[in-house]
Amino acid sequence: MPDSLHVSSQFDEDLARLRTHVLQMGGLVETQISSAIDAYSTGEVASVKSIIETDRKVNDLEKAIDDDCAHIIAKRQPTASDLRLVLGISKIVTDLERAGDEAKKIAKGVRRIYEAGHMPTQYGVGIRHLAEAALTMVRQALDAFARLDGKLALSVIRADEDVDVEFKSIIRQLITHMMEDPRTITTSIDIISISRAIERIGDHAKNISEQVVFVVEGRDIRHDKEAIK
Amino acid sequence: MQRALAYGAFTAVIAFLLGYFGETWMGWVLFYIGLSVHLAMHYRNFSRLERWSHKPVLDASLEGDGEWDAVFRRLYRHEKELLEKIEHRERDIARLIAAVHAMNDGIVLLDGEFRIQFCNKTAERQLDIDSSTDRGAAIANIVRQPRFIDYLGKGDFTRPLVLRLDRYFERVLSLYLIAYAEDHWLLQVKDITQTDRLDSMRRDFVANVSHELRTPLTVLSGFVETLQEIELDADSRRHYLQLMGEQSQRMQSIVQDLLTLSSIESAPPPEDQPVDMASLVDKLYRDAVALSAGRHDIRLDSDGQGDLLGAESELVSALANLVANAVRYTPAGGTITLIWKISAEGAEFAVQDTGIGIDPKHIPRLTERFYRVDRGRSRDAGGTGLGLAIVKHSLNRHQATLEITSKPGEGSRFATRFPASRVTGL
Repeated sequence: MPDSLHVSSQFDEDLARLRTHVLQMGGLVETQISSAIDAYSTGEVASVKSIIETDRKVNDLEKAIDDDCAHIIAKRQPTASDLRLVLGISKIVTDLERAGDEAKKIAKGVRRIYEAGHMPTQYGVGIRHLAEAALTMVRQALDAFARLDGKLALSVIRADEDVDVEFKSIIRQLITHMMEDPRTITTSIDIISISRAIERIGDHAKNISEQVVFVVEGRDIRHDKEAIK
Repeated sequence: MQRALAYGAFTAVIAFLLGYFGETWMGWVLFYIGLSVHLAMHYRNFSRLERWSHKPVLDASLEGDGEWDAVFRRLYRHEKELLEKIEHRERDIARLIAAVHAMNDGIVLLDGEFRIQFCNKTAERQLDIDSSTDRGAAIANIVRQPRFIDYLGKGDFTRPLVLRLDRYFERVLSLYLIAYAEDHWLLQVKDITQTDRLDSMRRDFVANVSHELRTPLTVLSGFVETLQEIELDADSRRHYLQLMGEQSQRMQSIVQDLLTLSSIESAPPPEDQPVDMASLVDKLYRDAVALSAGRHDIRLDSDGQGDLLGAESELVSALANLVANAVRYTPAGGTITLIWKISAEGAEFAVQDTGIGIDPKHIPRLTERFYRVDRGRSRDAGGTGLGLAIVKHSLNRHQATLEITSKPGEGSRFATRFPASRVTGL
């Protein structure tokens, strides 16, 4: 029937548009994170404002995508892999939005530190490295989603462990600093909250990748240490 | 054709003669048999042609009988020409694609919905596209920069989009979207990282020159105003004039260094004359002692032989600059060692000090014009910020390299290495 062909290709188009919207949102979040890192190392507080403004766009996109997902489920009643895609997307956008919020947190922390007249760059190398690892995770998670590449998604999930280890070593280092010189406590606490936010971004990237594996392979690997090996 | 007709006519004539002179039925039988044989031959050839037409490959065994053979031969030739033509075209297309892949610019072909149809190797590298998986995917899914998506959305492609990508390493790309064929787009990606860097270097340079010249100028004009407006006693006057003299001296040395730099840059390669290094190093040593005025322990570690081929004045100014830097940045009581060594690989002149040292992050930028680790300190010491830039240029002209190793708080070592081809007089 030519008619049903038309309907299903319309459906395909709807799904493709939905994916593109998710990736567009992902692009915004990537930019938020990378400008937050730049703000940290260059001290250009001006970009903080644009990071916060981008957050509004991210929130709008999240709502719009959620709405689209509900519409598709109600109107098209997708099954099998199409259903997994829609379900996966509705979870991915939540994680993306949270990752964007963490980027906002980093930006605000950076502004606090610089406005207080301190320089966070003395811990810069470690934090920058941590942030770049987390940003790479987000990027690869989105790449995996764009290409529906389960293998890449699994490698992102494994990378999360490295980020966690690095985060812990930064915290240890900061604690030593605070004990040696109590004057650094204010700045150190801000830096701790920044690195905590970075570590959370890594966690969100991991969650996104888990959803990608779910979409591609149909297995739920959340909280399953064996599945990612 | 004629032969087939002739065969038919011949059969008919024989059959007619047989029927006319013999029995009529015998004539009909002969006519019938003759035509049947004829038909069977045609049928055999036709079935060959029929079989072949299902899978028309170039087959030398395709042969027919009689008239059919000519037909088959023509078909064979036609097929062969066609195949050759196709092969030729394919080679042309493959060559074209190879050329597109070899281009320095990235090329991505997009359909009307901005989905990737083709992408050359350079674009794969620049935009992280993977041709094996991304064909047919919307380019916005892969290149997710919000600015790029806005650009696609706006639909105004008269100006290129300059995009900064920081994946793996920082890159600046300029993207042109060009319409081609019907409802298709060609995305041309130029890597302008280098030009962008040059641009910012040029801007920095102009800003730096202006800044460096303005500072002493401000001081000068301040004093001029003071002298014009206020009656001063002779002592203050003399003091002010002395400060003014220092500032104008400073401006002069900056301009002098800038001129030196530009003359080195534009001058032809130096004339190679043997420079007696033993006496040059000795002179550098004496200069260092004089400049230090007893504040440092200055040592000489020279094996005292060999000449360098090059322009003496440039070599002296470059090496003296390194020595003067060491004296300037080593606190009183420190040790400065001048080293001159010749080996099979070439010659090395090094200045080692126990001075304040340099943070590793500054080292790659030390030879940039006006780059200063510590602005205030360098200016107090009378530096113009151009010394090492001149040194590097002069050494480059002698195919020599400058290697800087340093540890903050422990000292630095500035080593210049000359290739063996420049060493003579051993």
